[in-house]
Amino acid sequence: MAEFQWPWQYNFPPFFTIQPNKDTQAKQLEAWCLLVLSYCRHRRQYSLDVTDAQDSPLFHNQKIGRKLPLEAVYTVLEELRKKGNIEWTDPKKRNRCLIMWRTPEEWGKIIYQWVTSNGMNNTVCTTYELVNGDDTSNQEFHGMESWLLTRALQTLQIERKAELMGSEGVKFF
Amino acid sequence: MRRRGVGAGAIAKKKLAEARYKDRGTEIAADQLAQMSKQLETFQKHLEEFATKHKDDIRRNAEFRRQFQEMCAAVGVDPLASGKGFWSEMLGIGDFYYELGVQIVEVCLATKPRNGGLIMLDELRERIAGKSRARQDVSNDDLLRAIKKLKVLGSGFTAIPVGGGRYLVQSVPGELNMDHTTVLQLAEGSGFVSESSIVSKLRWEKERAQRVLDHMVKEGLAWVDDQATEGRQYWFPALFPDPAG
Repeated sequence: MAEFQWPWQYNFPPFFTIQPNKDTQAKQLEAWCLLVLSYCRHRRQYSLDVTDAQDSPLFHNQKIGRKLPLEAVYTVLEELRKKGNIEWTDPKKRNRCLIMWRTPEEWGKIIYQWVTSNGMNNTVCTTYELVNGDDTSNQEFHGMESWLLTRALQTLQIERKAELMGSEGVKFF
Repeated sequence: MRRRGVGAGAIAKKKLAEARYKDRGTEIAADQLAQMSKQLETFQKHLEEFATKHKDDIRRNAEFRRQFQEMCAAVGVDPLASGKGFWSEMLGIGDFYYELGVQIVEVCLATKPRNGGLIMLDELRERIAGKSRARQDVSNDDLLRAIKKLKVLGSGFTAIPVGGGRYLVQSVPGELNMDHTTVLQLAEGSGFVSESSIVSKLRWEKERAQRVLDHMVKEGLAWVDDQATEGRQYWFPALFPDPAG
């Protein structure tokens, strides 16, 4: 895995303090949202445990000794939830969330594009080989977790581009 | 063909004439006046010939350009003074600085979301040099002249010296007063200040220091950092290097 490119803000100490100036704060939160999504995308991470994340390099820059406070972590995650990029698995406690750095619709499009360019229309395949097979090893959706794959395929199903067959198969049109 | 105009010869001549009429005690002999006037006109003509001959060098070489500007200034000639005339039409020197001005505005607008409208001259130069091959040899001197021109045009542009020959370029209209620029100068080495460092280094009262800091935060020029051991620090994105560009 290539080294993750941190944005300039990550090494800027104030980035880890929620800013009092509203306009600056808006820019800051937007940058954090982008950082969380690109970090998870880089690591192919589909879920996030808040406690673990707080101590991870994502929210804790050891080099400059700055850590995003828990309350601020929740502020950032709430922004992402509003945008549709995360979903709490436990909305009351908010310990863990699912991450969608791409929406299910976007994933659906990408998968279908791959299917078409590989001439797999009107064929059936297992969901396993779709995201774990050698053929897709260089695709962004390789290794995708099943909950997200299902949602992505469901968006294609609505468009009549695919049909789910049980929980393990899918037919593409 | 005699050119009417704003050249050094015409100005000098006028001044001499004025001096002559003003100070009756000092009578400048008519032939001395004529001689001086002719010398200046000759000099200006030589300057024009020189400029034409070295047109390409002037465009391509920053050091040459700087020395040429100084030569011109020494005889009261400002190649950037007007849009018309020998200098801008023949040499395109006006164009050079005009185009540079446009690029300065572009870079400042593009980086404003990050730095609030304040950028180090060095960073500005690097970004412009990165934009095109023709801009490889743009110097800080070139930029400062172009910024001066922009300022005359009524834009919000200003270059603020921060010591050691370094400058901060301000591109937003909000006036920075002396207190603000002093704090920026203090912050320049490390990229940040605190209320206590201002009080101890500049010997200001707390309220004065806080006023300046609040203003900087309000203008989006400074961000606050509450995780430093010594108390709240104020960091300036303009003074924080962004290697990614």
